[in-house]
This record gives sequence, structure tokens and C-alpha cells, in this order.
Amino acid sequence: MGYAFILPNMLGILLFFILPALFSFGLMFTDYQFSNPNVSFTGLDNFRRLFHDEQFYGAIRHTAIFLLSVPVSLVLAFATALVLNRSVYLKGLLRGMFFLPYVSSGVAVAFVWMLLFQPTNGPINEILRGIGVASPPGWFADPDTAMYAIDVVQIWFMLGYNMIIYLAALQEISPEQLEAARIDGARTRTITWRIVWPLVSPTTFLLLVTGLIMTMKSFALIQAITQGGPGSSTTILSLYVYKTAFSYYEMGYASTISWFLFAVIMAVTVVQWIGQKRWVHY
Amino acid sequence: MSDSAGNPKVKLPATIAMLVAGVFMILPFLWMISTSFQTPSEVFVRWLPSRLDWSNHVRIWTGSYSFVSYYLNSLKVSVIGTIGAVFMSSLAAYGFARIEFKGRDALFLVYLSMMMIPPQVIFVPKFILFNWMHIYNTHWALILPGMFSIFGVFMLRQFFMGVPKEITESAFIDGAGHFKIFSRLNLPLAKPALATFAIIDFSWQWNDYENALVFLTSPKLYTIPLGLQNFILENNVDYNGMMAAASAAILPMIAIFLIGQKYIIQGISSSAVKG
Repeated sequence: MGYAFILPNMLGILLFFILPALFSFGLMFTDYQFSNPNVSFTGLDNFRRLFHDEQFYGAIRHTAIFLLSVPVSLVLAFATALVLNRSVYLKGLLRGMFFLPYVSSGVAVAFVWMLLFQPTNGPINEILRGIGVASPPGWFADPDTAMYAIDVVQIWFMLGYNMIIYLAALQEISPEQLEAARIDGARTRTITWRIVWPLVSPTTFLLLVTGLIMTMKSFALIQAITQGGPGSSTTILSLYVYKTAFSYYEMGYASTISWFLFAVIMAVTVVQWIGQKRWVHY
Repeated sequence: MSDSAGNPKVKLPATIAMLVAGVFMILPFLWMISTSFQTPSEVFVRWLPSRLDWSNHVRIWTGSYSFVSYYLNSLKVSVIGTIGAVFMSSLAAYGFARIEFKGRDALFLVYLSMMMIPPQVIFVPKFILFNWMHIYNTHWALILPGMFSIFGVFMLRQFFMGVPKEITESAFIDGAGHFKIFSRLNLPLAKPALATFAIIDFSWQWNDYENALVFLTSPKLYTIPLGLQNFILENNVDYNGMMAAASAAILPMIAIFLIGQKYIIQGISSSAVKG
């Protein structure tokens, strides 16, 4: 009986997720190219190539910089949620303002930020010049700053999502617990860091892990703003997979890179399973 | 904390500080709307347009890159995909939550493990599969996979598990089968959860850029994210037109958020805190 309910869904998941995943695993050991019908098994050749691929190492570095956006947005989100939770008027309006970037269309906001960060006369650099910065950064146009400018957009994008979840976690904390600490003479700062922060640590941990995974998987924002450039300075791993498969049509090699990405995500997930028990203070 | 928190002397400055921060958060949207009403000579020079210039918006909706067709394409893909996903996911979620059968938990674990697979892993096989199915470069390449949501099964399963068993047990005694109990008792109860999932899934499909990028090549099939990109690649100095186009893409999402705010926020908070 149970199968009747699950079957329609299971067939779809099998066809569009499970079988492609298994097939991709096999492709990893081939030299499959879209234009070339002759596919041969090449064993571990793709892995050897991977270890000598400068672009691949670059993509790892860029991914690492991209991932910096996760902890930064968490800290900002926690601070925002703390203030919004108790000590403001207009809570609903403020919550909506912070959350708006997350619900808007990712590609569309990418283009807005492209103009805001425009180096020669975009508004951000105009303001920087106005406050006396003689030569403001080139942002997306400069290989040294492009990845950090992407981080700014990503932090802005994710802040509201993280804040909403922190708000939900803060509401679970019983007021009595905080009251008891206050009566014992604890100061607000002590309460925040010694009581509230440990109490929301499961949430922080969950947001950190899911944030890292989500950030590693997504490349829409970067593809829309820089297409991985200038040069390859913003080509993160997930974007490198896409480019290898659909710009260079090296689909076997692309599968190899994509499974490396999977291995990293898997590792983060395993750390989550272990860490949940060890590092999270309830 | 509660003493100082309720105190207007703390609350008022905190509210003002947060309002300033909040305005910074929505400043890109304000700048976008303002620029979409400016003339080319005003971009980057003025914060507000000297007068409302509607020509940029007219150009978006009537020009050679008509957003009318992008909108219709996006609507078609997201509406059919979301309806399919709600239907398929709620059925499967009920099966996983309420019916005991052999291999159920193992199967659910397979579902969960699929969530770890990055979409990049399956792009190439899907590309080959869609070519073989003759749906590459058609809307079905987005709609069909869109109907199968692992997140939807996961989220709705949580909900069905929370429905008290007593409600359905008496129906069982009266001889009703699972299909009847599902459609007459569980689905009506699940309305808020279904609405939450539908809104979140719709917004994902509406904003989906990566799949459209890989599986659509004909401009006449473009959904809004691709149409927007196409417009920008071919008109890269038409800043006013770009911002009018971006507004056209974003405003429906903002409208949906304002209408469904309660469901979206509840859905996001509950899926994370309980999960």
C-alpha cells in the first residue's frame, strides 16, 4: 500500500536524481566529450589531470574566499536577531526589510549590484571618493577584489534568511532563565555571550553547515555578475564544473571535478554528524 | 535583559539604528527603481529622477526582448512545476509518514542522501537524458524534474508525522482506506504546510537560473532570469533599461513575499529549527 503513495514520486526521483548521479559516477572515469561519440574508459587519468590542474587549485581558493561569507553573515544575523527579538518597535517592518534580499530574484539583484559596484562612476565608489578615498577598488573589474565583492553581495543576500532562523531560535529561550541570570547580577553582555550564544549554538551549527553546503553548490550569482572573471578570479568549484562541461564540453572531466565537490560536501556533513554531539552546548 | 528591553530609552535608539541598517539593506532596490525611471544622462549622477521617465519600462515590455513572453514562459514553468511538486510530494510524504512497509526507512535515507548531491554532479547526465527524451531545449526539461522535490517530501513528511493518529484511527475503524484518509482528513489539515511549500517551491522555480542556463537555448523559450541576462548582455550600456528589466523580475517576488509573508517565515523557521 505504501508503495502506491510513493511510487509516482520515486520514479521521478529515480529518473532525474538517482540514475543521473550513478551515471555521472561512471563518467568520472571516461574521456566523454559532447562532440565526440567515441567514449573510452581512461581509468584514473581524470584524477591525475585534476592534481596538476592550476585552474582547479584556483577554484578551490576562490571557493574558500566565497565561503567566508557564511560565518560573516551568521555573526551579523545573530546580532540583528538579538536586537530585533526584544528591543525594537516596528519589528515586523524591520524583519521584512532585512529579509527582502533573500526573497527577491537572485539574478536580478546580481545586475543591480553590478551597477552599484561599477568602478568609474557607480554609486559605491562615488560615495568612497566623497569621503576621501582617492582611488577606490575596482570591485568586480579587478581580479584581486572581485571575489570579495561577490562576498559582500552574498552576505547581503543570506543575512535575512539566517536572521529569521535565529529569531525562531531566540524565541525558544525561556525568559525565566535570563531573568535568573539578571537577578544574580549578570550584565547584558555576559548574558548574551555566556547564556544566549551557547543556547543558540545548535542553530549556529546548523546554519553554518547548511550555509557552507548551499554556498558551495550555488553559482548563479557569480555566473550572472562576472561569469567567473576577470580572468578566472571568481571561478569557484561549482562554476568550474559548469564551464568545463558546457563551455569546453569536457563532460568526463567535469564529472570528476563535480565528484570532488561532492566529497567536500560529504566531509562537511560528516563533520556535522560528529560535531553535533561534541561541540554543541544545549 | 527584559528590564532594559522594554524600556523606551533603549527601544527608541535601537529602533532608529535598525531602521538605518534596514534602509541600507533595501537601498539596492530603491536605487534600482529610481534608476529605472531616469534618463540615460541622469544615471550615476542623481539619486532621484528629475521626472518619471516611463520609456524604459515601455521598452522592456514592448521591444524586441519582450518581457511578456519571458513572463508567460516563467509562469508556465513555475505554475505547472509547483502544482506537480505539491501533488507528488504530499502523496509520497504521507506514504513515508503514515504507512509502514518494507524498506521504508532505507528508502527515505536514499532520498535524504540525494540532498547532498550538488546539482553540478547531475547536469551532464541530465543533459544526455533530456536529449534522449527529446525534451532538451523545451520547457519540459525544467517542468518535469521540477515536479520532484526531495525538500518537499522531507518537509511535508515532518508535518504528517505531527498529525495526531487518533484523528485518523476512527476513520480506519469505519473502514476507510489510506487514499480516503489522506485526501479527506490529512490534506485539509495540511493546508498551511502545503501553502508554505507551494510558495517556497514557486519562488525557487521562478528564480531558477542554473537549470534554465543549461537546458534552454532558444531565446523564445527563455524564462525571466535568462531573458534578463540576455537583455543585459545585448544592451550593456542601457543602464535604465537594465534596471527596468530587473524591477520587472523582482517585483512579483516581493509581491508574493508580502502576501505570503506569514507562510514563508513560518516555513523557513520551522524547517530549520526542528530539522
